Amino acid sequence: MGTQWAVLVAAFLASAVEFVEAFTIVLVVGITINWRSAFAGTAAAALALAALVGVFGTALVRTVPLEALRFAVGVLLVLFGLKWLKKAILRYAGLKAMHDEEAIYEEQIAEMRARGEHHQQRIDPFGVVTSFKSVLLEGLEVAFIVITFGSAARSIGSAIWGALAAGVLVALVGALARAPLQRVPENALKFIVGIMLTSFGTFWGGEGIGIAWWHEELFLPILVVFYLVVTGLLILWLRQYAPAKHAEVAASESAAGEALS
Amino acid sequence: MIAIQRALKATYNFFAGDMILLIATVVAFVLGLLLVHALAAPNPLVAVVFVGCIVGGLALTLGRELRGRVRQR
Repeated sequence: MGTQWAVLVAAFLASAVEFVEAFTIVLVVGITINWRSAFAGTAAAALALAALVGVFGTALVRTVPLEALRFAVGVLLVLFGLKWLKKAILRYAGLKAMHDEEAIYEEQIAEMRARGEHHQQRIDPFGVVTSFKSVLLEGLEVAFIVITFGSAARSIGSAIWGALAAGVLVALVGALARAPLQRVPENALKFIVGIMLTSFGTFWGGEGIGIAWWHEELFLPILVVFYLVVTGLLILWLRQYAPAKHAEVAASESAAGEALS
Repeated sequence: MIAIQRALKATYNFFAGDMILLIATVVAFVLGLLLVHALAAPNPLVAVVFVGCIVGGLALTLGRELRGRVRQR
């Protein structure tokens, strides 16, 4: 039961991050071209992703032995988790710019207007392809997390519900706001999902290679806390070298130099 | 040929996108398998080596990023 909730929450959070990014592009297409094209592309991509999860998720659960599945899923989740964690850590440490949906939105609008895109009522192939591509590309990572998480925990349903809930929530909030969702704490979500993916990947991957974890599933929260502590220490270490700190030091040094001269 | 190369690069970027993370993860799993099945190492030792490789990979890649950024300045 606990694992099912963990799968649902992980799929929800990972999906929310990716859906916010996809929503920004769909919004641009809707505003600059028309909503019909934006919705057509989004619906086509959502169907493709649902088919992917349905076919591969079900096939994996039914045909692959659990041990082998957990080994493969462990490798993939650790890779995905570390990738997300690396970006989130660099952003928290100030070594990488925060993701700015507002800036991306403005940039995309300017690009599409420069290409002479304008409002029309009929379905526009360029608009459909643009929203299809953005939803499919952002959704592919979500589909992968849903399949790997759901199949390793034998709980594809929970993962699908988590992803669906995130999609509906982002679409609802976005539709009401009619603006890019820049207030979503994207880096915090990425960080949490990175911790969850790495912890589950370590746990299932470890079981796959033959490690018998102390107290079995109760060891998962210990792994989560361990990775939180390690990443916290890594952020503290990297913050010492963040550009803002260097700029402050340089400014204070030059001020001191001026005062002396 | 270019299409295959592009497909391989896209697959690599999708799954890992970082050579250090990829190598560290592969080393963690291969070493873990060897310790469990070939050397019958005690469980706590395998767990420590396995998790250590994963954390080591993350620390190494962050260190590389840091060196790159410091060099840029």
